[in-house]
Amino acid sequence: MSSHFIERPRYVCSLGGAAATVTALPGAIPILHAASGCAGNFAWTWNGGSGLQVGGYCGSLTVPSSNVQEHEVVFGGTDRLTEEIRNTLRIMKGELFVVLTGCVTEVIGDDIRSVVSGFREEGVAIVGAETGGFKGTSYYGYDLVLQALFRDYVEKGTPPVNGLVNLWGIVPYMDQFWRGNIEGVRKLLESIGLTVNSFFATDDTQAGLKNAAAAELNIVVSDVYGIEAAETFREVHGIPYLPLPLPVGPSASDAFLREVTERLGIDPTRTEAVIVSENSRYYRYLEPLTDCYNDLDLQRYAVVVGDANYAPALARFLADDLGWLPELTVCTDQLGEDEKERLGGRLRALESGFSTNLVFETDGSEVINHLNSSRPRYADRKYHNPFSPAFVLGSSLERELAQGIGAPHLSVSFPVANRAVLDRGYTGYSGGLRLTEDILSAVVAAR
Amino acid sequence: MSTIEYFKHKDPPKREERLKACIAHGDTVCGLARKGKGCLTQDGERSFTQGSICLLLPALAMLNSLPDNVVLLHSALGCGSCTHSQNANVRMGGNVRWGRVKDGVWLSTALDETDVISGGEPKLEQAIIEADRRYRPRTITVVAGCVPGIIGDDIDGVAQKVQPQVAARILPVHCEGFKTKIWATAYDAVFHAVGRNLLEDPEERQPVLPDEEGSGREKIRLQRTVNLMNVSSMGRVDEVELERLLNSLGLEVNIFPVFSRPDDMVKATRAALSISTCPTHDDYFLSYLHERFGVPFVLKHMPIGINNTGLWIRDVATRFGQEEAAERLIAAEEAELEEALAEFRPLFAGKTVFVSAGEFRALATAKLLEELGFRVVGIRSFHHDAYAEGEYEKLAATAGEDYVIDIANVQPFEEANLLSRIRPDLFLGHANGNMTAAKLGIPTHVIYNTGLAYIGYRGVYEIARRLHRQLRNPIYNRKLSRHLQLPYSDEWYGESPFSHIKTG
Repeated sequence: MSSHFIERPRYVCSLGGAAATVTALPGAIPILHAASGCAGNFAWTWNGGSGLQVGGYCGSLTVPSSNVQEHEVVFGGTDRLTEEIRNTLRIMKGELFVVLTGCVTEVIGDDIRSVVSGFREEGVAIVGAETGGFKGTSYYGYDLVLQALFRDYVEKGTPPVNGLVNLWGIVPYMDQFWRGNIEGVRKLLESIGLTVNSFFATDDTQAGLKNAAAAELNIVVSDVYGIEAAETFREVHGIPYLPLPLPVGPSASDAFLREVTERLGIDPTRTEAVIVSENSRYYRYLEPLTDCYNDLDLQRYAVVVGDANYAPALARFLADDLGWLPELTVCTDQLGEDEKERLGGRLRALESGFSTNLVFETDGSEVINHLNSSRPRYADRKYHNPFSPAFVLGSSLERELAQGIGAPHLSVSFPVANRAVLDRGYTGYSGGLRLTEDILSAVVAAR
Repeated sequence: MSTIEYFKHKDPPKREERLKACIAHGDTVCGLARKGKGCLTQDGERSFTQGSICLLLPALAMLNSLPDNVVLLHSALGCGSCTHSQNANVRMGGNVRWGRVKDGVWLSTALDETDVISGGEPKLEQAIIEADRRYRPRTITVVAGCVPGIIGDDIDGVAQKVQPQVAARILPVHCEGFKTKIWATAYDAVFHAVGRNLLEDPEERQPVLPDEEGSGREKIRLQRTVNLMNVSSMGRVDEVELERLLNSLGLEVNIFPVFSRPDDMVKATRAALSISTCPTHDDYFLSYLHERFGVPFVLKHMPIGINNTGLWIRDVATRFGQEEAAERLIAAEEAELEEALAEFRPLFAGKTVFVSAGEFRALATAKLLEELGFRVVGIRSFHHDAYAEGEYEKLAATAGEDYVIDIANVQPFEEANLLSRIRPDLFLGHANGNMTAAKLGIPTHVIYNTGLAYIGYRGVYEIARRLHRQLRNPIYNRKLSRHLQLPYSDEWYGESPFSHIKTG
């Protein structure tokens, strides 16, 4: 890993993540206060990285953007922003407007808060977030937008509703499977009798977001994404949060349900009944696979490469559900030491007893070196125990790695250039079945 | 100013100054054709704008394609993430040219809050050195985004300072997005870097051992060698078509800059002629090659459509005294094509079409669609400069009725308004530019995609074939429109599409 550059960054900047997050909210309109090219850069990024999903109701090149130029750099851009917002309100049809700053307007020090609060005083549903690209990655941009919404849009003092929870931690477009994954976690929570506000799912509404402070608990299915927003929510609305790993497959789903059950004081017998019935269903689907799983010798060594949500979740699924040997797990995010520690903790004490080598590495071309250092590819002797048969579960940038070690490959973590994604998701019990299908299909593709 | 003078500066000039190019104007085809030379000297501004692209994006499309090149972005970490889609072109382009599928190598110095305050030059120095050691490239293109432009990082100074420590040639490329609203400045930015850093004057290149016979042969070859410019607006399939046409005039073809190595670029300085496929792309560099190396150029027509391809061939042929051969070639090609198009024409006859793309491409494609029997009812050009005057004249000469021209750097809100009034039978738009029409239920086709054929006679046939396919079953968009909405207010559709253009 270089300390001077990031190779093929697997994220956009915070503005990019913020814009995508707003686009993913029902009826929401992002207003970029940025240079003209930011929106296009994001559109091209999603085009190549997000499973063929670009934009939505208002995304891509449709987003209002102040397109600041040298004039604004010299004289300031708040007048231009005011004009842009005023005309956005006339031209665009939206339920919520979110102003987002880019590098240029943030470096020149435009005070967007006063502009935005002026419009809010006029009764406009509008929020602002400072998301200049140099602040961090698109994952952080997601967090910044949620913080702004929780602080300035979610209504305060809403009477609590029993059994209502908010759910976030899955980043739209950065996780190509966001819609399916949110749906999968929502189903898990509903199966133990909870009502779920997930903000970004196809059936979510603005009203759900606005009344989010009525929830009993905020569940963040991430150890990193949306955590600061959860802190903000707790400070502003007094609602606690529970960070849990992305529940992919039956083992993780069992644990997820048990943790939520315990935290909310739900009757555990009901949850245990759900777990038994879901597992029984899961394994009935696997039943007819048993012959081929054995006859074709489908167990594999594996390398997992992914973001902070996927890397531990996929490694756990491979080890504990599929019974594979994911010897190397690479997380490609830039993380703090405490975050690394949290992710490491998720992979300690797996049910299978299998232990994976978790590495933090932003540069994909270095993965092969991490692999070779733990397991040399060649040995000068007749009998040798190489990393084979293997599988690479990562992003589409791992195709070269897979080719290099002669392994089949599936793109799951960003970028996913070579798959079309609509409602597919890997969370929950049924998500485990989807993932098993996709992985094994890649193994037998040449059959 | 002569072009060679521009190249003495670190930054290329922006096009709004060099060419008086503009992006905010509403007009008609006859209006623009009538205005003649320098038709717009003062650009307007919009009081409402939507996001578009900046020069960084097309510049990266070119730079990412260069083999053995590392693209090192010096900016915040989001700049250049567009490469995730361009990488598909890099992979496929490498595959069709060399049978090798390889990801582009792009890096980012990922300037953070600390760098913004204390400057990013030290980080860039180290990044260049480490990139050289890790990837061992032939060239490292150091591409500046907005942030270094504002905080004042001197990428040229850094390049100069560390060049002695690295094996690769360092090319600083200026793509500070806020500095120009004409993203076609991208081509100038890349060529500016190539011209300043890669090309050598002839006397710098002396053979170690003299080889008179060999150099005589080389000389004769060079007399028949032409530069064919491709800044990534054509895929390999289009290059093959133009190579085929030029070969049949007895010419050898040196294609660059995309997918070309530094040697091919140097070779360009010794060619007999440079041939542009689009003045929007090439004028800056071809003038430079002419002024510095004496390579003449042709830069007038775009070989899209039947008539324009003929004009393009004739322009080249004249330079080599091949007029008769050109006429024979054109006549044979046209006859063969005409016969092949017959099966598609009945479905096209009289259907209306709206076209949207970079100015020259949009206008040439509109002409092609006319030739196929469509009736052009509107054009949106991404910018406007004087090079396109001839194209407006060509279109005005054959327009049954006058129609609207929207000069806009995308701005789909104007397009939604126009399309809801005009309701064309077909829409052709740039990548990321078909969504508005599609959601309105209009059949759409992409006007630029490096995997598809568009250029020359083959391009006419393949476009016709694809449009025929689209129009035989356009139900997909129709169904989209039944269930999806564009994000514009009802009032907006009642206003004039150009009501937010403030004339300068």
